[in-house]
Amino acid sequence: MESIISDYNYWIYILLMMIGLYAMLAKNNLVKKVIGMSIFQTAIIVFYVSIGAKEHATIPIIAHGHGHGAVEAAIDVTHYANPLPHVLMLTAIVVSVGTLGVALAICLGIYRRYNSLEEDEIQEQLQ
Amino acid sequence: MIWQLDLSILTLIVICAFATIMVKDLLSAAIIFGAYSFLMCLLWTEMGAVDVAFTEASVGAGVSTVLFIAAVHQTTRRVGFRKSGRGLSKAVGLVAALLTGLVLVIAEKDFPGFANPFTPASLHVSPYYITQTLHDTNVPNMVTSVLADYRGFDTMFETAVIFTAGLAVIAILRRYKKDDRCDLPDPHVISAGYPDTIIRFVARQLVPFIQLFALYVVAHGHHSPGGGFQGGVILGASFILLAISYDSRMIIGRMSEKWNILLGNIGVLIYAGIGFLCLLLGANFLDYSILSKVLPATDKIMARSHGMLGIETGVAIAVMAIVVSIYINIVSCGKYDKDE
Amino acid sequence: MSFVEQAPVLIVILPLLSAFLVNMVGLINRRYCLPFAILGIFGSFTASVITLIRIMEHGVIHYRLGGWPPPFGIEYVIDHFNGLVLVTVSFVSLLAVIFSKESIKQELPEKIPQFYTLFVLLVTGLLGMTVTGDAFNLYVLLEISALTGYALIAMGDNKALVASFNYVILGTIGASFYLLGVGHLYIMTGSLNMANLLTILPDLYSLNVIFIALLLILVGTWIKMAFFPMHGWLPNAYTYAPSAAGCLVAPLVTKVSVYIMIRIMLSVFSPLYVYSVVGLSDTIVWMAVIAILSGSILALAQTDFKKMLTYLIVAEVGYMVGGAWLASSSGLTGAILHIVNDALMTLCLFIFAGIVIYKRGGQQLQDLAGLYKKMPITMAAFTVGALSMIGVPPTAGFFSKWYLILGAIDAGKYHFMAALLVSSLVNAILFFRVIEIAYFEPKVDHHGGDSHKVAIDEAPLSMLVPLIIVALSLIVIGLYSGDIVTNIIQHSVPAGL
Repeated sequence: MESIISDYNYWIYILLMMIGLYAMLAKNNLVKKVIGMSIFQTAIIVFYVSIGAKEHATIPIIAHGHGHGAVEAAIDVTHYANPLPHVLMLTAIVVSVGTLGVALAICLGIYRRYNSLEEDEIQEQLQ
Repeated sequence: MIWQLDLSILTLIVICAFATIMVKDLLSAAIIFGAYSFLMCLLWTEMGAVDVAFTEASVGAGVSTVLFIAAVHQTTRRVGFRKSGRGLSKAVGLVAALLTGLVLVIAEKDFPGFANPFTPASLHVSPYYITQTLHDTNVPNMVTSVLADYRGFDTMFETAVIFTAGLAVIAILRRYKKDDRCDLPDPHVISAGYPDTIIRFVARQLVPFIQLFALYVVAHGHHSPGGGFQGGVILGASFILLAISYDSRMIIGRMSEKWNILLGNIGVLIYAGIGFLCLLLGANFLDYSILSKVLPATDKIMARSHGMLGIETGVAIAVMAIVVSIYINIVSCGKYDKDE
Repeated sequence: MSFVEQAPVLIVILPLLSAFLVNMVGLINRRYCLPFAILGIFGSFTASVITLIRIMEHGVIHYRLGGWPPPFGIEYVIDHFNGLVLVTVSFVSLLAVIFSKESIKQELPEKIPQFYTLFVLLVTGLLGMTVTGDAFNLYVLLEISALTGYALIAMGDNKALVASFNYVILGTIGASFYLLGVGHLYIMTGSLNMANLLTILPDLYSLNVIFIALLLILVGTWIKMAFFPMHGWLPNAYTYAPSAAGCLVAPLVTKVSVYIMIRIMLSVFSPLYVYSVVGLSDTIVWMAVIAILSGSILALAQTDFKKMLTYLIVAEVGYMVGGAWLASSSGLTGAILHIVNDALMTLCLFIFAGIVIYKRGGQQLQDLAGLYKKMPITMAAFTVGALSMIGVPPTAGFFSKWYLILGAIDAGKYHFMAALLVSSLVNAILFFRVIEIAYFEPKVDHHGGDSHKVAIDEAPLSMLVPLIIVALSLIVIGLYSGDIVTNIIQHSVPAGL
């Protein structure tokens, strides 16, 4: 019980991942699959951002950081959240919106030709 | 961090995820997914990831939702019921999901505790960014300095990814022939079907302010959350707002396909070009410090700061053009020639 | 700036820059697209060759992007292994882009600028994945090559769209699993640099999470390379893609994924960990055996020539995965050599299929009838490719198979050897059937077979030249494979195996 409460972020990301994966593989509707894909990708983002979180830390922007080489001393590492996962996840968000655009475009192309977004109906027409 | 808040947001997120998968209407699913993204954005702000939250707000809650709605508008809201005898894919999905869940749960047991400031991830590599960002680059927002400088090469390809996506959408959807089938009455209008003067007026008045804010986000990314990507998406969103409140022909008239493609190219080329300039001046690719040779009255540290501003501008231009281009292609299903 | 010193980054940057130039000149006149695409890829090929020569003289090259030292910045690390893969990838894409000229004019005349831009970006992505020494940078380029791949495939006919959608779904799962695996390594170590991970990980070998990270990355790359139970997306996607796109995607995407798997095994985890500590070898070699056999059997069942080739790719992936997991130095040598050979063989066969589609308008086996008389040069080149697939000396395919079989004997995995032999036999049956149809059966024309003498009707030069070059290179590589192994591959196989 202790570990569930302290690590809930990690538990939730696993849950979201399962929801997304299930929707991608099991749903019949193509747009639903795409939604599942987006949930799957955000689950990974939750995981990474949780790695970067620190208790009692502030946002990763140095306060009073203006001016040239102003504050040399006294930057406490534990005082700021870990910026690296944030950077990685900015990239991942961009990638996921790119994939989303392409996937929706393919859905539209399929709808234009088969007049349906349901996988089984499309398969019937393919046969 | 307030764990009660964290937990309640996470619970809402899971509810939204379930709802968006279960609901039998695609437009509702798209809207719920928008809410899901917005909750994500709150979660990240709460965990201190402000830049991620900003991007999620503009991309996930903003552009993604609009793209979903545009796609649903072009196709159908209906979600059919699966015909019998197709239990196999459900079983595959269930088994894959449970197996993945099980494996990840086993891995989770070995993780260092959540929000612990003394985990390996917080002790190795990342302290360097926190302590050295001001010294190396004079940029207080370390997310910006890591994004645009320490790991600037990733970001260049991130911009290339969005460019690729824009191009891919054109490649897949664009139709040039006049006789292509397009049985929708008017693919350009996404509104309720009648012009609403109030919405149009308000949207028109808002656009300049949105764009001004976007420019601020780009320019002030060194000191506050934001940067080229977020600013670019907001700029693109201002055009999409016009396209939604009027119709997309209005945008196509102002930002033609050729201009859009050209701007997308120029944006990424600014990024790669600055990197290449560093290489021509004798340093490694993307080593902005060498730019102090050509920029007047700047030392190596300030050259890094200016180099980052340059590439952020490129990113903003590219992202703006590509977001608009993706939207136009999806909402018109690839058919938007002027003479139509 | 010296070209030689900057060559590692130019391998990736030249095609990237040329992609944007291609796109912009396409707005003016679409005839200018191809020269710029060729120029970019040729520059990249030159840089790869220079880099490989430099490695053979001076050893491993490190290149710091942005001048930042690893693990804080991103680093390019090029050793003999990825040097070889880089030359292969750029060589294959150069031939594929030359081939595409006529075929794309016929199949997609309206979208030439988009096609070439995506084409060059895909090459950029593949080269970038190969050259990088940073686990996350690899992910970004993986996504570039994935997105371009989806689009290039979706540009084919109607069925291609459905195939491409499945590819999007499975490809995203694969890439996300890779990213998740990297995340598991990051949470335990704090680093993303491969060399840095290699030094930190040994202390953590006993933890489950490291094993699961390996598992996630493996499954991710397996989906990307269409390893047998995860191959569902590949056959349709590659069959219905435009033939010019198929010539780039089919030879390279799976091979680069195999490269990634081996790179992660050797340079992030260590040979000690993957072969001794985790004890996955037996299972994975068995999976490879199943992949080889099912790929071969499914290939036998096809009447569509291109689809038959796609199932052969599934079988060939089994060769390489099995070879890499034999835990013997000959097996690994064979797997690495097979990456090169299989890329060239697949290119040869897909160019041939492209020529058939261009000339005959179809890709069924019947469409091949009577080709020997009509296109003798094309068929000669195809025969070389087919012999190499079967594994007849002195073609390249024989030698990699030889090393793989040696490796199987060294490791005592006789079932893998048996699978290789069965697969060679099936390939022989398949290709002799094709050759038979093309040699003996006359093409049934509308005229009703009145002409006794058939006029030679060869493919255009821009299609024929790449085909001849790739066929010749299959023989040349076969003849020099001993040198390639001793001078290049031996250096990348870890000593203690």
